[in-house]
Amino acid sequence: MKQIALYGKGGIGKSTTAANLSAALAGEGLDILQIGCDPKHDSTRMLMHGSWIPTVLDLIRERGDANITADDVVFRGFRGVRCVEAGGPEPGIGCAGRGIIATFQLLERLDALKGDVIAYDVLGDVVCGGFAMPMREGYAQEVYLVTSGELMSIYAANNIAKAIARLSRRVRSKCRLGGVICNEKNLEGEDELVAEFARRINSSLIASIPRDRIVQLAELHRQTVIEYAPDSEQAAVYAQLGDDIYRNRKTSIPTPLEMDELESFALEFVQI
Amino acid sequence: MNSNPSPSNSSRFEGCTLTGALSVVTQVRDAVCVIHGPSGCAHHNFSLLHATLADSDGVGVPRLISTALTENHIIFGGEEVLEACIARALELSPPPASIFVLSTCVVETIGDDVGAVCAREWGVPVIPVQTAGFLGGVFQTGIVNALLAAASCADGAPGDAGGVNLVGEKNLEADVDENQAEVARLLGMLGLQVRLRFVRDVRTRDLARLAGAAVNVLREPALLPVGEALRQRFGTPYVDSFPVGLSGTLRFLEEVAGVCGVDGSAAVEHEAAIQEGVLARFADLAGSRVAFDRVHPMLDGDAAAIGVCSELAEALDLVVDPEGTRLPAPYPAPVGTAGIRRMLHRWRRLIRGRERAR
Repeated sequence: MKQIALYGKGGIGKSTTAANLSAALAGEGLDILQIGCDPKHDSTRMLMHGSWIPTVLDLIRERGDANITADDVVFRGFRGVRCVEAGGPEPGIGCAGRGIIATFQLLERLDALKGDVIAYDVLGDVVCGGFAMPMREGYAQEVYLVTSGELMSIYAANNIAKAIARLSRRVRSKCRLGGVICNEKNLEGEDELVAEFARRINSSLIASIPRDRIVQLAELHRQTVIEYAPDSEQAAVYAQLGDDIYRNRKTSIPTPLEMDELESFALEFVQI
Repeated sequence: MNSNPSPSNSSRFEGCTLTGALSVVTQVRDAVCVIHGPSGCAHHNFSLLHATLADSDGVGVPRLISTALTENHIIFGGEEVLEACIARALELSPPPASIFVLSTCVVETIGDDVGAVCAREWGVPVIPVQTAGFLGGVFQTGIVNALLAAASCADGAPGDAGGVNLVGEKNLEADVDENQAEVARLLGMLGLQVRLRFVRDVRTRDLARLAGAAVNVLREPALLPVGEALRQRFGTPYVDSFPVGLSGTLRFLEEVAGVCGVDGSAAVEHEAAIQEGVLARFADLAGSRVAFDRVHPMLDGDAAAIGVCSELAEALDLVVDPEGTRLPAPYPAPVGTAGIRRMLHRWRRLIRGRERAR
């Protein structure tokens, strides 16, 4: 079983990437579980053709955690991808991070964490220990950073690299950085910049996903690109990404940059 | 961010903030205390208060109820369960005249808006007390926060003027009522009465009488923030400590007299004569070899208490010698001349006991 997590700045395209990745891998006949770890609970929506599945925390709130079965929280979407949304409290109250921890404990107890690949799609900012949960306890063993060439996006990716570096110092930690995915914003020299960033934090660029209108069109039709336009070039990119990640055996402990390093590095690329 | 606000001799007070606050607000006999947190926070404190109260005054145990938060309340927020708990407190018989709502570490961590829940129209005062210890607080912080919260029950306009408020008596100390009696005796010599024990064995409506005193006498200097807040709000001057030591007791009389604008010279003279009499009764201890011990290795010496020991050693002609009879440095320091007399009785028992053992 391969367990991966996608982290990156909010709005950078983690959920789109994760859903297409899951759809592509399911097309290879693999059993995939995608877990959305964000109170916004929209990670698996395209796989579920636009329907909002009940979240684990909704069910806990309504029924208490003793009366929940795996079938209540796991929903089959496109190509049989099994979808789970952790959910969270109402905005502005409670503790979403603790909610992620409770979700993982429940999924563990229900024996729901299984399959050929588990993909954790996590909130953009690792704001507290709860959102680092997928990186802990041997859940996700490979983290993929999704970023564009914009400085703030790289900054967020660098922060997550810090979290991985911190966690990997723990004795039993299995969490490593799997690679960096460039979700392009169509900036000049963007791939080179992200590739260089990946190299400097002791990792590598796994894939560059071009910006394509087809992604928005698929979304408007409440589908992944893989389903909406299976023969498109974009679908081929996601299929290749799935293949590369599934075969990837190379992971690393990242060496995150200091803020001034990050800024001067970004400046170098702007000047080119 | 918060820094530790405790006074320099803080190690004495480094307990749970919630316990400190409860030691105050549970003395409002017709109130109910709601502890917003896991049930263990309430149980631990209930046990401690039960044991202490059974030991000292035998009054019925205070009414504490807990919101008994569990993990799901933490995830989804605890404000609704707090509302339900306050509503339940209002149903109790006899109905509470006020409700104190005490927060705990976990609810402050997740950011429950306790103040907003308390501010709803409940029909009786529902008063939030910030008691999350991780915000830099200790036992003493809880006492300060609870006194400031209780002060919100005071009327701005005093009905009658004059008299003395005792502020922040140590409700958990064994000598609390003896110490109050001693301070009342000294105040009586100045023609002053205790107006309000803030807060010990009172009812909610008594708290309204906080304003209008001639002076607030703080139990100890660690309560300065309370004395200062009351001075700013009601214009009441304060004396920062109960009397400690022989000369300290005389200074206390002078200070209170000065603040209240009365002539204290006769009282000081009279008290000095009483102190001479006490020392004369212990003249047999002259020449005894003694060593003052810390109460506990974890606690730093209380500067005031050590000062009293040195003062008495000199006045009674004791010889301080590491090989002498070990006398525990008092904690807290004895209050007034009566406190010193009780302590000297203990010293004599220890000194004579050691002589007999030889």
